[in-house]
Amino acid sequence: MRRRSPGRAAALWTIALAAAAVMVFPFYWMLNTSLKPASEIFASPPTFVSAQWSLDAYRTIFESRAIGRYFVNSLIVAIGSTALSVVLASLAAYGLTRFFPRGATPFVMFLLFTKMLPETLLIIPYFRLMSDVGLLNTHLALILAYSSFALPFSVWMLIGFFRSIPREIDEAAQMDGASVLQTFARVILPLARPGLVAVALFTFLIAWNSYVWALVLTTDASMFVLSVGIANMVGEYRVQWNELMAAAVIAALPVMVLYSLLERHLLSAITAGAVKG
Amino acid sequence: MNRSIGSLIAVAVAALAWSVGAAAQQPIVVQWQTANLTESQYEPVWKQTIVEFEAANPGIKVEPVLVARKDHWTKFVAASQARKAPCIVSVDVTTAAYNGYLMPLDKYWNAEPAAFRSAWSDAMLSSAKWKGQLYGLPIWGGTYAEIYNRDLVVKAGLDPNKPPQTFDEYVAWGKKLTGNDRWATAVLGGKTDTTTRVLLMWIWANGGEAFNADMTEATFAKNPRSLEAIKFYLGLADKSAIAAPAPTTTNYLEQTNLYAQGKIATMRNAYWAIAKVVGDNPAMAGKSFVAPPPANVPNAPTLSTVTASSISASCQHPDAAWKFIKFDADRKWSIARAKVANWMPLRNDLADDPEIKADPLLGQFVRIGRNARSYPLPHPAWAEIAANDIVDAVQKALLAPDKTDEIFRDLDARLTKKLRDI
Amino acid sequence: MNARLRRKAGLAFVAPTALFLAAVIVFPLAHAFYTSLHRVRGLNATFIGFGNYARLADDATFWHSLGVSFAFTASAVALHLGIGLALALVVNELRAARTALRIVFLTPWMVAPAVGATIWLWLLEPQFGVVNYLLRAAGAIAAPVAWLGEPGTALASVVAVDVWRGVPFVMLLMLAGLQTIPIEQYEAASIDGAGAWTRFRFVTWPNLRYLVVVATTLDVINTIRHYDIIGVMTGGGPAGATEVLPVLIYNTAFRGNRLGEAAAIGVALLGIVLVLAVVYVRTARLDDGTRR
Repeated sequence: MRRRSPGRAAALWTIALAAAAVMVFPFYWMLNTSLKPASEIFASPPTFVSAQWSLDAYRTIFESRAIGRYFVNSLIVAIGSTALSVVLASLAAYGLTRFFPRGATPFVMFLLFTKMLPETLLIIPYFRLMSDVGLLNTHLALILAYSSFALPFSVWMLIGFFRSIPREIDEAAQMDGASVLQTFARVILPLARPGLVAVALFTFLIAWNSYVWALVLTTDASMFVLSVGIANMVGEYRVQWNELMAAAVIAALPVMVLYSLLERHLLSAITAGAVKG
Repeated sequence: MNRSIGSLIAVAVAALAWSVGAAAQQPIVVQWQTANLTESQYEPVWKQTIVEFEAANPGIKVEPVLVARKDHWTKFVAASQARKAPCIVSVDVTTAAYNGYLMPLDKYWNAEPAAFRSAWSDAMLSSAKWKGQLYGLPIWGGTYAEIYNRDLVVKAGLDPNKPPQTFDEYVAWGKKLTGNDRWATAVLGGKTDTTTRVLLMWIWANGGEAFNADMTEATFAKNPRSLEAIKFYLGLADKSAIAAPAPTTTNYLEQTNLYAQGKIATMRNAYWAIAKVVGDNPAMAGKSFVAPPPANVPNAPTLSTVTASSISASCQHPDAAWKFIKFDADRKWSIARAKVANWMPLRNDLADDPEIKADPLLGQFVRIGRNARSYPLPHPAWAEIAANDIVDAVQKALLAPDKTDEIFRDLDARLTKKLRDI
Repeated sequence: MNARLRRKAGLAFVAPTALFLAAVIVFPLAHAFYTSLHRVRGLNATFIGFGNYARLADDATFWHSLGVSFAFTASAVALHLGIGLALALVVNELRAARTALRIVFLTPWMVAPAVGATIWLWLLEPQFGVVNYLLRAAGAIAAPVAWLGEPGTALASVVAVDVWRGVPFVMLLMLAGLQTIPIEQYEAASIDGAGAWTRFRFVTWPNLRYLVVVATTLDVINTIRHYDIIGVMTGGGPAGATEVLPVLIYNTAFRGNRLGEAAAIGVALLGIVLVLAVVYVRTARLDDGTRR
């Protein structure tokens, strides 16, 4: 272990703390605003800590708005997207690395290609598609959309991951009589767990924070997800900013919990997977 | 033989009666989408409207579609393109009608009794017409006037009973109201169409015109009185220095914030702004007074926005939709809207209504609104012109005031092209 | 297993994804291309071939927007990489606090971009915002600065907010890369008497090159099509200084109601990104697996 001079340590810590302060500040401001009474929000000078902090805004949004309902909808859609994305990405990545090794890069390029068009242009045809198959106002429509967005990065990462698992393991399993599918599901997948966790986290994040698709595809208030519920709190003639920020804080919590618990998997997945290409 | 025919007839009649009964039991569902359903102060009113309508019309259910104001049009367009738009909508009538998203209402309108129809003036109706056909029933609106903070006015040694009448008087007031980290007013230059609304008012107040009569030519620079007004108004931010800094980021939210926190003494706004200000800062209750916008010519019109309820082209139950629109336009809901949300009724038979008279500010706005032009202006490209092109020109002129002439000449050319490209 | 069976097995694995994408993404993509060949006014669409593209080529607004997009994307991605790498190096060295720091640095990811942009909008507000307050309290500025009100500072501000949004992703990738560099390489360099900069240049950087390519490609694609931050903070203003292509597309589609033209701008953007991606990937020699 290289010994570090105290000066160097101090410098590193200063940089780290300064960067951390900038990264976290908006979230702290979100929290601060959600706890303040409405009259204090635009006080000049701004208050960083307040004697009038209270959980009133949180109470109000649970009582007068269906935040709990939106939360559940977001959860269903995010978990559904995650499941679908993990299944499809792992199947495709395995198939490509084991059976079409040279096709991997063109396939990934094709996947990236599908992401290059800005969302704005896709919402109208996608709405028409979902309308024609009768999937408007369903969780499924959103699940399908979000899984498709997560696929490019997920497949790319898992390709790298599967490549790092030696073929000998496949062959050994097959010599023991396992079919290709059994080899994949029982032998290889467990080895790729960190990669799958990474895909899951990544997809969850995309599904959880996305807005425009839910905006367009759901009209029934009982189907709204959190991002729509939050956006609907911005009236033109009155905006209860503390309530809106309270809803945003609640929306940020599951992601935070999930990431704190599983973050090392994300790191090791990218380490093992993408690095070795 | 007779008996079997008889029983056949009996069965047929029974089947018919059953199917009619079954159909009668299936409620018709009409969806209702307006950006106002997400305004928190309006919520109890619209919920009550639906409850009472459904009680009076069993067999029709109204399903509200909640959407944030800024995304209301996007959602409507996406649904219209798939011919699945909500039945009852409030959108920019000209643009929506031009794009084929709305259903003409003439047959419903003409079938109504004259007593009902007389509550809407011809001028009011024409704001919801496109190519001679009626596409919406004007429901509520907002008249813009100059709103002053009485405390700040008095503190500056000015008389609240003698508000400025001309541009020069306005600047004189402004100079007294500016100082100590406070300004008289704010110039709206943010990237929303409110910027355009206020600009138009100043142009009209100087006797200028922004467009020709049939909206085929823009005259911001071509009409010298328009250009003069533009320079004056934008100059409040830099030459006269009575406006708050950073006008290019000042929109309705910023402006009402500044006013609520006492940073500006006056704002050009509609009645609903007062409710917002009091919501932001309860200490502001009762502190505002209203006056017609200062003008250099007699009888200068102010601006009134008009929101109309329309039926979308893809609506499967237009009869039910029209029933609801009529219901919602009634006196009771017009008054309720005025009281909770400060949205002004557009029926001309309510001016002497005791509930309207009980609110002096509302009465003042109604009076000022008698000489107003309706907004949005009737052109399919208006949404873009108002929120993009005109705003860009205003922003450019705020950043480079000595190029104002050139900027607005360019604007004229660009707008004229757009106006003719339909 | 013989080659034909292998192929069938492989197809069975890849088919679900391919079919899924065909159904869900390819149709909307194709529809966008198709729309770009029409003059669309609401429900009326007239075929005009490449008319929209011809108009775009002549349209100063489009070229200006393209320029702004390039400036925005280039500076944002460069900063993502620079700051992401720097932070990764710092976190890698501060072993004790590594986990805590990693989670802290992921915070921007946990807030939806539109919500984050709204908060930054407040923080940068001239009269009531915290940034001006702190800067004035520290004596760094004399009067409140209108960050989003002037073209230069507006572009810098939205880039800064995008850096806040985008650094976590790059930092994570770089950190992953740093953790796989064998210690022996560093030790060998130290023994040879190499200083910190030399170690970075000859040990760290070559090992990270591949990841940098991955990070840059994905980051460019994500950043060039990003709408939320600029849409919420400036709407493309002031005077078009921050009007990147996604904002122009949105305004053309839903304010101008010219869906055909908006689709053409989108396809043009896609074409440019595709060319960039292919050129970049080729020069980094990804497809034959050779890495240096």
